[in-house]
Amino acid sequence: MRAIGFIVRRELGQYFASPLAYVIAAAFLILTGIQFNNDLALSITKRPVNPALIPDLLAQMLILLAPLLTMRLLAEESREGTIELLLTAPISDTSIVIGKFLGAWIYYTFLLLLTLPYQFILVNISSPDISHTFAAYLGIWLYGGATLAVGLMFSAMTENQIVAAFLSMITLMTLYLGESVGQIVANTDLAAFIFNLVLRGHYAPSFAVGVVRAEDIIYFVGMMTIMLFIAIRLLESRRWR
Amino acid sequence: MIEVKQLVKRYGPVTALDQISFEAKSGEIVGLLGANGAGKTTTMRILTGFMPPTEGTARIAGFDVMTDSMEVRRRVGYLPERVPVYLDMTVEGYVKFWANLRGVKHPKDSVTRVLQRFDLLDRRYKLVRSLSKGLRQRLGLAQALVHDPPVIILDEPTIGIDAEQVIEVRNIVRSLREQHTVLFSSHILTEVEQVCDRVVILHQGRVIASGTTDILSKQIQPGTHLYVALQGKNKGEIRALLEKLPGVTNVREHEAGFILSSAPNIDLRAAVTDLIATQRLSLMEMRPMETTLEDIFLNLVGKGKR
Repeated sequence: MRAIGFIVRRELGQYFASPLAYVIAAAFLILTGIQFNNDLALSITKRPVNPALIPDLLAQMLILLAPLLTMRLLAEESREGTIELLLTAPISDTSIVIGKFLGAWIYYTFLLLLTLPYQFILVNISSPDISHTFAAYLGIWLYGGATLAVGLMFSAMTENQIVAAFLSMITLMTLYLGESVGQIVANTDLAAFIFNLVLRGHYAPSFAVGVVRAEDIIYFVGMMTIMLFIAIRLLESRRWR
Repeated sequence: MIEVKQLVKRYGPVTALDQISFEAKSGEIVGLLGANGAGKTTTMRILTGFMPPTEGTARIAGFDVMTDSMEVRRRVGYLPERVPVYLDMTVEGYVKFWANLRGVKHPKDSVTRVLQRFDLLDRRYKLVRSLSKGLRQRLGLAQALVHDPPVIILDEPTIGIDAEQVIEVRNIVRSLREQHTVLFSSHILTEVEQVCDRVVILHQGRVIASGTTDILSKQIQPGTHLYVALQGKNKGEIRALLEKLPGVTNVREHEAGFILSSAPNIDLRAAVTDLIATQRLSLMEMRPMETTLEDIFLNLVGKGKR
């Protein structure tokens, strides 16, 4: 447990010490800022503000963002050889993977918190449904955790960061767009099944409209667990070779 | 302290280690000597628990590297061949990170102690990125020693650094004797002779010789060799004259001259000087030949075949 804490601290140190993290944060704020402005302008003339606007946007952005945030985590350790010291330190492979994951998830949470000022503005100029906003943020927080776990799993697979990022992007894209396959399937049961498999299926109909369902929480937590389990096994597999 | 018995490591069809056995007693510096690909790094990686052996056992301080991996890892300080560093960390932060992960009780004191020992204290707030290769090597040694482990494993710590730093690292390794058991790998014979109490020579994954440095150097350097290049007569005549010199056991052509071999402790230089004077020859070059690792391997491998 102690080891997890040290690894989390090290990861956060690296995120906040690297210019890339600030570039990502800046790009993230510019994109969300533009969307927020548009939505605000529309809300004056056409329709009420969307309390889930930022989380909805993130649901798409995470396909690119999560691989960027996680590609380095284990791939870089392998390439730089520091993995040799990590794996020969008296700590378990599980604490390495969990520590790395929590580091990424905490940084992502920080990005999410950066968007809170938008909500303060909304509360001040209109009367959004706060519980709707809260549900959407909770949903996208879990959704983010699941996408980061996918990224981390691919980072454990290769020592090439680009390959790791590419593979996780493809996987996340499939998990995001998979529902479109469901839309052209004639059998509605099969379509529903496919919709339940993909990321959007557990965000769009529930969290995004302000509904918190246990099955969606279980889906995201389950996905994190499975991905982290595979990442731990991949790390361990170095010892079998 | 380190006990290796019949260790085998296969990578698919390739056998990297073939029935290796050796041991290192407490407070001893043992050198693993071998060319690239001889199996030094593989042996060290097995001992640190980074990878498992295919067959055989390895124990450190009585703990098996496979079944008691955590106990072994707590007792080992390891410096891989390529010093693994986090470039974005400060010198102090880097050493402290490893101290924390290895469960050091008072990390601050331990970090200050090792930084002082390796003369890095005044650079403690510098980024690792800004350190030269030699300083990074020292930093690598500092992380390997920060938890004061009984066993220290150093994989070619003198590779790729300049001569002055090589001497410094050798002195550091020597200073570890008594408090620590050190396993030190190198492909430089003289280095191993200077630093280690005992040597294990690996060749193509097998131990071809092991013992104290004195015994080994006698075993593997039978006699002394002198290179001389003379002029004034033709090569055949010179060779005949050299062969007749007292003490010379073998003469073979090398570059522009000959290598004279003699029994150990016999200095041929006086005899050669006399020959030059009496035969009115010109001396172009004369130097003692050091036995190279290749010579030793050829010698030992040759013996193995016979």
